[in-house]
Amino acid sequence: MKCEWMKENLVLYMYDELADDAKFEFVHHVQHCLSCRQELEAAQAFKEEMSAAPAAEVSPNFLAANRMQLQEALEHAEQSRSFWSKFIFDFAGWMQQIKLAPALTAALLIIGFAGGSLTTWRLALGDTNAGPLPVATSNTGSQDYNIAAIDSISTNPDSNQITIKYDTLHPQTIAGAATDPRIQELLLMATRNNRNSDVRLDSIDLLKTKAQDNEVRDALISALRYDRNPGVRLKALDGLKGYVKDDIHVRDSVLEALLHDANPGVRSEAISLLEPVKADSSVHEALEVLAQHDPNQYIKTQSKKYLASTPHLD
Amino acid sequence: MPAETAALQAAVGASGDRRYSHSSGAMVSQALSRVNDSELIRAAQRGDRAAFEVLVRQYDQAVLRLALHLTGSEPDARDIYQEAFLKAYRHIGNFRFECSFYTWIYRIVTNLCLDHLRKRQTRKEDSGTVVDSNGHEVDLLDRVSDERSGANPERDLMSRELGARIAAALTRLTPRERMVFELKHYQGLRLRTIGEMLNTTEETAKNTLFRATQKLRSALAPMR
Repeated sequence: MKCEWMKENLVLYMYDELADDAKFEFVHHVQHCLSCRQELEAAQAFKEEMSAAPAAEVSPNFLAANRMQLQEALEHAEQSRSFWSKFIFDFAGWMQQIKLAPALTAALLIIGFAGGSLTTWRLALGDTNAGPLPVATSNTGSQDYNIAAIDSISTNPDSNQITIKYDTLHPQTIAGAATDPRIQELLLMATRNNRNSDVRLDSIDLLKTKAQDNEVRDALISALRYDRNPGVRLKALDGLKGYVKDDIHVRDSVLEALLHDANPGVRSEAISLLEPVKADSSVHEALEVLAQHDPNQYIKTQSKKYLASTPHLD
Repeated sequence: MPAETAALQAAVGASGDRRYSHSSGAMVSQALSRVNDSELIRAAQRGDRAAFEVLVRQYDQAVLRLALHLTGSEPDARDIYQEAFLKAYRHIGNFRFECSFYTWIYRIVTNLCLDHLRKRQTRKEDSGTVVDSNGHEVDLLDRVSDERSGANPERDLMSRELGARIAAALTRLTPRERMVFELKHYQGLRLRTIGEMLNTTEETAKNTLFRATQKLRSALAPMR
């Protein structure tokens, strides 16, 4: 009966799928049963033989060619939507787009503000016979502003005058304490400034002392994951270091940086941050892989050092 | 261009550079299983292609590797890769976060591979060779670096013979057995995950693996 059970569970033992108590029973039986020991040896020899034909690695050229072809195909692909979803307005998506489109948001605010001010001014003057307001401005009127969009163009055939209606973005300055909510909101917005990495660096540098705020912490995690500038990623890491132990999302993003980041400096910083949580199962597994395979000698050595000082939890 | 898309596009470029590859990809993916893809998935569901491409780049190397090893043919692996990700893009709106994106995309790929294996089984093709992108046949073992053989031609020959026997033994498995064995032995996935991917139970995956190893052992037994 025992030998029968052993044969049924041999494959699971070989592939480390047996529960701890069953594993103990299995090993105990094999130690005392010659035929089962021989069976196990034969099975292990089979597993080794099968490893003689490992899965072929994908060549970088083949992968790149496939990615390019997929990108082209995606350009023409359309997502299928259910019949009813066509009629449902995606409010959350719309809000997300508005929130992440500062130029459009600013333009809408400016237009609204300008419209309101104009109406108030006209009411204050009490000039009910003012007629249509002149929309054309002087030739130099647009020089102080950035033109956001051209709304309409019309030509008067009698006078050969062209009338162009356009929206402008007014550069503005704001000053305030770091605790000012408006300042903090703008700093968070600045972390997503894709055109200027200096702005991102400055904003992350200021925000990193306020990582106790969940919104700030999310911005730091996002910068660590997606920012192209290693300096920004390093600053984000610095801001997150106090939360590796208690916040699982921070721990995951630091672990991700350790495994995937192209910059050795960022990876070195990430591994030092993970020292207090080296016993965590995800961190432990990643360290085991890095200790064996990482091309970076420092990461390899540190991983081994952490593993040596952590009890193995099997 | 929305700032969100720009940020995600930056991430696409960055992730391409940052990609860290080694043979223990399965272990790393397990370690990173908690990493949250939901933000990217939601953006992709809103039609953000850049977000979808970020998702693709996290998993496409493993997908291509699986397809290449199962089909043994670069053109077939390429077709499965393209079809799988296009299908995922078209139907990402149906993704309900009931499983990880990793499991979901692997479910699509394994279904496509199973279809391919079933079709091929009826044609009885030999998988000892692969067809490269130029249409030339290449021995599977030419792609495998065998550090043990080194400059020893005799050992090299033995290793090739063994590889050919293994390839032949693998063709004796049913498509489902082949898939479970591939996911367990070569990709190192847990049986519970394999069950989820193949829309079956862990117990069934266990039994299938048992049958696959029995068949392979008896096919390779005369060698020992």
